[in-house]
Amino acid sequence: MKTLVKLEITRTLRNKKFMFFSVLYPAALYLLIASGAKSDEKLGDTGLTFPVLYMVSMATFGAITAVLIGNAERIAKEREKGWVRQLRLTALPGRGYVTAKIASAAVVSLPGILVVFGIAAAVKGVRLEAWQWVSLTAVIWAGSCVFAALGVAIGYLATGDAVRPIVMIVYFGLAALGGLWMPSAVFPHWLQTITEYVPTHAYAGLGQAIERGDAPGARDVLLLVGYLALFSGAAAWLYRKDTHKA
Amino acid sequence: MTITAGTFTGDSRHAGAAPAVSFANVNKSFGAVRAVADLDLRLYPGETVALLGPNGAGKSTTLDLLLGLSRPDSGTVELFGATPQCALEKGLVGAMLQSGGLMEEVKVRELVRLACDLHPRAYPVDRVMEQAGITEIADRMVNKLSGGQEQRVRFALATAGANDLIVLDEPTTGMDVTSRQTFWGAMRRQADEGRAVLFATHYLEEADAIADRVIVLHRGRILADGSAAEIKAKAGARRVVFDLDGEIPEAALRTLPHLAGLEVSGRTVRIQSHDADATVHALYGLGLYPRNLEVAGLGLEQAFIAITDAATAGEAVSA
Repeated sequence: MKTLVKLEITRTLRNKKFMFFSVLYPAALYLLIASGAKSDEKLGDTGLTFPVLYMVSMATFGAITAVLIGNAERIAKEREKGWVRQLRLTALPGRGYVTAKIASAAVVSLPGILVVFGIAAAVKGVRLEAWQWVSLTAVIWAGSCVFAALGVAIGYLATGDAVRPIVMIVYFGLAALGGLWMPSAVFPHWLQTITEYVPTHAYAGLGQAIERGDAPGARDVLLLVGYLALFSGAAAWLYRKDTHKA
Repeated sequence: MTITAGTFTGDSRHAGAAPAVSFANVNKSFGAVRAVADLDLRLYPGETVALLGPNGAGKSTTLDLLLGLSRPDSGTVELFGATPQCALEKGLVGAMLQSGGLMEEVKVRELVRLACDLHPRAYPVDRVMEQAGITEIADRMVNKLSGGQEQRVRFALATAGANDLIVLDEPTTGMDVTSRQTFWGAMRRQADEGRAVLFATHYLEEADAIADRVIVLHRGRILADGSAAEIKAKAGARRVVFDLDGEIPEAALRTLPHLAGLEVSGRTVRIQSHDADATVHALYGLGLYPRNLEVAGLGLEQAFIAITDAATAGEAVSA
């Protein structure tokens, strides 16, 4: 199984186009969105400035983009080509496949996160404590595994042409509902209640807690661990059950 | 209308031995189509078995059921007395699927190493590549291979370890004649080591030359099961072709002894016979004067067509 994880990472790194896009896209989006925001403008009761808030949002968003869309589409393609069918004839357990996919997705999301942070610090003058930078990176990176697992599950659920629309709906829905584009503080009350349970909201919440100088909320962590178990369980189950033919 | 063809079973030769593959009363339907109907089948270690049938005969469905890629609606499929899933996890089965794709963006050697790593009883990577004849292309990217090279890589994946059963779906598609011969040489060695080998093929001459047992599938049923020679005998072993002048006495021709099939097109009469000598003798006995008389052995291909046609039409062999 170690060989599979290594091989998945190797081939992801070899895919230059995909790497380039996944790494630079969140940074470009950050510059675009944060360009109008004043560096000292505070948002509502969060006590955070827009550039800081958007930095975490975009790093989070970028990580989700890389792992969710990347995984879902690549897996759907692999299924179509019949590679997954071939792999199912080996002694590889379902969790091995899911682990390898999550690991290879993590390789793409880490540089994306670091580039957003670098640009935020260099261009928008974001300043944080050293422990904050380190834990932000760790938390956002670790949290992206939840969405990598979701990507694997979607890659198994959908086939062919249906993958892209489905993953886009999930992706934009999660991003918007989780308050990655607009802070959820501006949502109507009923929507805020729903947002509380959206994984992207909990994910962004981890980073925001650290930005404020707090430890990540236990509720957010629990929620994400729950989603990770759910998504990877579903992905492993779908992998074993999949009877789709090329 | 159902035509039940008598089957030659290979079972008697293996009394007491545990089967490698066992289908018991297996059914599988897709909507209204019965892809596999009441399939009973046993394969034994050391057997090389060809699965023959026209498109839609149920070959791929049979292999999918065998490998646990799909589940039967009823009946049981067992490999070495356990579920297909269980046999796969123990590394007892190596399979090369027609629809089995390869991982992209990796080198041939990396992919073979992966297969060896995942196999519980793996062979050394270099040995697997050498036996599959892919040592020279070890550093090539998998997505840059020709069709024949891809097939050899698939074969390497299927033989990465000590399997007791090897399943191949149209394995030589895209290979040239030489690599086909090399391939079957490698396959023969596997069977000689006491493994069961099951392959589906379009190349009927391969079934004839390589398999010691041929199973003809048609519309999800086993139409014939025996050695290539038995299948040929079953379809009418010899073909007699001649031309006749004047009115063709079809009714009289049908009374010829050992007749297995009769086809008239224009002046030409084609007959399949279990005993060509007796048939030709009787032909002269009818007072006919056949011109351009040819008597030839029936290849497995014609035998195969004859058997499936007989099952489809019931009587007349189509032109």
